[in-house]
Amino acid sequence: MDSSYHASFWIALAVGIASGSVGPFIVLRRMALVGDALSHVALPGIALALVYSLDPFYGVIVFLIAAAFAIFWLEGRSRVPPDAIVGLLFTASLAIGILIIPNTEIVESLFGAFPTLSLPFLISILLTAVVLSALCFVLAKRFLFLIVSPDLAKVHGLGRKYDLALLVIFAMIVALGIKLVGTLLMGALTIIPAAIAKNISGSMRRYVIASAVLGGAISVSGVWLAETFHFLPGPSIVLLGVGLFVLSLPFTRRRAA
Amino acid sequence: MSHEPVLTVENLSVTLDGVQILRDVSFSLQPGEALAVLGPNGAGKTVLFRALLGLLPHTGVVRWRQDTKIGYVPQRFSVDRSAPITAMEFFLLQSPSFWRPSAEFVAHLDHELTLVGLDRSVLRKNLAELSGGETQRLLLAWAMLEHPGVLLLDEPTAGVDAGFEENLYALLHRVQTERGTSLLLISHDLSVVYRYAQKVVCLNKSVVCQGAPVQVLNPEALATLYGESGYYHHEHGPAH
Repeated sequence: MDSSYHASFWIALAVGIASGSVGPFIVLRRMALVGDALSHVALPGIALALVYSLDPFYGVIVFLIAAAFAIFWLEGRSRVPPDAIVGLLFTASLAIGILIIPNTEIVESLFGAFPTLSLPFLISILLTAVVLSALCFVLAKRFLFLIVSPDLAKVHGLGRKYDLALLVIFAMIVALGIKLVGTLLMGALTIIPAAIAKNISGSMRRYVIASAVLGGAISVSGVWLAETFHFLPGPSIVLLGVGLFVLSLPFTRRRAA
Repeated sequence: MSHEPVLTVENLSVTLDGVQILRDVSFSLQPGEALAVLGPNGAGKTVLFRALLGLLPHTGVVRWRQDTKIGYVPQRFSVDRSAPITAMEFFLLQSPSFWRPSAEFVAHLDHELTLVGLDRSVLRKNLAELSGGETQRLLLAWAMLEHPGVLLLDEPTAGVDAGFEENLYALLHRVQTERGTSLLLISHDLSVVYRYAQKVVCLNKSVVCQGAPVQVLNPEALATLYGESGYYHHEHGPAH
């Protein structure tokens, strides 16, 4: 067991919890697919960073936050169907990224790897993940208000800045996990714990807590599986999550009146 | 109590997608007054409310008295059926603390629920599981929770039974007299307008008539508002 494994373990735990904390709001806003596609935008960011010999993380964070603003802008324009544009924009990013990224780096960029990180860099990733998770809990009431009734929220003085805050928090969490989980699969990590927790939770407060716990547990178990059986960490985490989702289906709470 | 109007509307016009929905609407709402907005389907009543709340772009003046708290009961309210949001959590959106509400908040909530005739067991239910009548009562309790200075009610009796309809207007009347709350309500029911509103604004894209119901709601005005076939018989018949 090497230091890369230990680093992966801690990243999985912190980013898993953060993903689980933001996921419920993305799922309830019916943005699961947009969120999933958003992670693809990281690829041209990685490509550009590699071209300029920078750490790919910086390219990832810039591109993802820009994408969050782009989605926010599109959502504010009712005449434009955002899903089609998001679909086009994000697949185009994937294509551009694939063309530019060297073949030796491509699998890692798409599906993640056990990252080698300096200690300060690792600590800053962990701290950022903790702060972003805490923000999800602190802002939960406002995020939920805008989901339940945008009109009532606006009458109570909540503006669209909280929609933007949610997207930026989401983009940053995706950025934190990309080295480990990969650009193709990181979006899924934010959605899967929320999808499972939604099936088994009876209230919003339990939903967010369950999703955060599941996010941490699935990611850590996925890293352990990957290390034990010599798989890539990204696919291991995602497949474990999808397996749990299927197992949760019989326990889905009935809510039909 | 100040005599400054709670709400002043001057030459309000709303155009959506190039179609003018409201034209030069002017009226005012006095403190403690109940004002009914009356008009046929498609007259722009809901659009008027949404413009007053700042939810739609408009021209003209909409001026709320400073520091006026607004309670709003929307006509349509639907929540994703699969979302695990309880009725309690819906109220917690107005609590300073979402995760650990204070005992004071919960006690106040219980009181408001009793006013609208809801049992506190409803708080554990999922928001999407509530019946139409329960949802309407819940929305009213929600709007009244912070004791707003003005309540905007967009057809508050749509989808509820006749018994509750009678209770609702009696309750609104009580809130109006006991708390001094101003009421702005959209209603199709002329008997309600006659009994509870001090002022009526007849709306069909622009203001057709306004004033005290007994003075302005004459057959001519109603014929202009609803067309020649008229809804005038509503005064005598049950609400639809």
